[in-house]
Amino acid sequence: MVNYTSNEPMHQSRAKGGGPVHGSLSEQSLIYLQIARMLEDDILRGIYREEEQVPSTNELARAYNINPATAAKGINLLVAGGILYKRRGIGMFVAPGAGEKVRDKRRAAFYEGYVRPLIREGRSLGLDEGALLDMVARAAQEGESET
Amino acid sequence: MTTRETNALMARGVCKAYGQLKVLDGLDLTVEPGKIYGLIGRNGAGKTTLLSILTAQNTLDAGEVTYGGQPVWENQWALDHLCFSRELQPTQNGAQNPQKVRDYLRAAAAFLPRWDREYAARLLEEFRLEPRKKIGQLSKGQMSMVTILVALASRAPVTILDEPVAGLDVVMRERFYRLLLDDYAETGRTFILSTHIIEEAASVFEEVLILDRGKIVEHAPTEELVGQFAYLSGAEEELDRACAGLQVLSEERVGRRTTRAVRGTPEALEAAGAFDVDLAPMNLQNVFVALCGHGDER
Repeated sequence: MVNYTSNEPMHQSRAKGGGPVHGSLSEQSLIYLQIARMLEDDILRGIYREEEQVPSTNELARAYNINPATAAKGINLLVAGGILYKRRGIGMFVAPGAGEKVRDKRRAAFYEGYVRPLIREGRSLGLDEGALLDMVARAAQEGESET
Repeated sequence: MTTRETNALMARGVCKAYGQLKVLDGLDLTVEPGKIYGLIGRNGAGKTTLLSILTAQNTLDAGEVTYGGQPVWENQWALDHLCFSRELQPTQNGAQNPQKVRDYLRAAAAFLPRWDREYAARLLEEFRLEPRKKIGQLSKGQMSMVTILVALASRAPVTILDEPVAGLDVVMRERFYRLLLDDYAETGRTFILSTHIIEEAASVFEEVLILDRGKIVEHAPTEELVGQFAYLSGAEEELDRACAGLQVLSEERVGRRTTRAVRGTPEALEAAGAFDVDLAPMNLQNVFVALCGHGDER
């Protein structure tokens, strides 16, 4: 559960106000995981590109009113995952291929956190594989006609 | 900073009773330099007593408090490194406290060897405090501002604040956390804060100290502690299977659905989530209630 890739679906059982975490911190998830996730989101959106510098621990601490050690923990998580790297004496930078890494990780988390619960919930409602696939296809079509 | 300023503040076996009432009962605590600590405990748990004993402003019945290995009691060197900015009293001997803010700050400057006059002046302006006003005429929020001002301007290597945000509105509370973090980023000194507004302050604490029944019952990095707790809910039999290997702290029933507050390693919690139960995380406030609620639920 402290694996942040599976953090999101953990909340699904509880009513969760507030919506997406981006931009402000919610109270129901460990803060350093939220910091890591926010930076990942910003990398996915191209706000920080490869080889660009990300905010420092102290800048993050100040922006979100959090302890610098907590901000550092979030950053270190991304360093361990090869998404950020440290340039000595300068700061933290986005690693080459970071976007793809984040996407891969999110896809794996999507499978665990959304697809598998979808099957489980479907089964408890008596929907077999065929019925589920039909629903997915229909939702995809509706989604396309909306955009 | 010199090496002397990177000393730990330690309490060993501290006992304190007021008459028959045991407040601290063999309390152990190590406050390492360079961290922001949050001290939480229920009303009457002895937070203020502990903080005053740590700074030799109160006697103890047994045990010892040391700073840098030296007892703090009647030790000017140790006391020069510690600042406990106490809550101001609006009354004195039954009458309005007649001391002026200006005189209170002068006294603080005289007692605190690292007093930063320029910082104090800046904070006085930021808080829009009127130096000529009497302490007894200040609002509760303004009194909190004076104690915060003294704590920050003391520049003491170990700075202790007791309920600093009590009486402050939400804007001022945010500003206080910001000032605290700015100061901490600049100086890296040690802060100990006691508060009842737990969730709001949780993100500022690096480590949390929970005082209960006369002892520090939890002392851990805030997020590490919070990550050990969760709510599990579902049907009883399935919940029993999921809770194997977890400590159950409390239970609540709504119809046939049971919710339990549980504690375990992150791995054990994750394993519990694989059963047909709902797993929801806690925040620090939930953790505090789960640990210190002591059957007050009914």
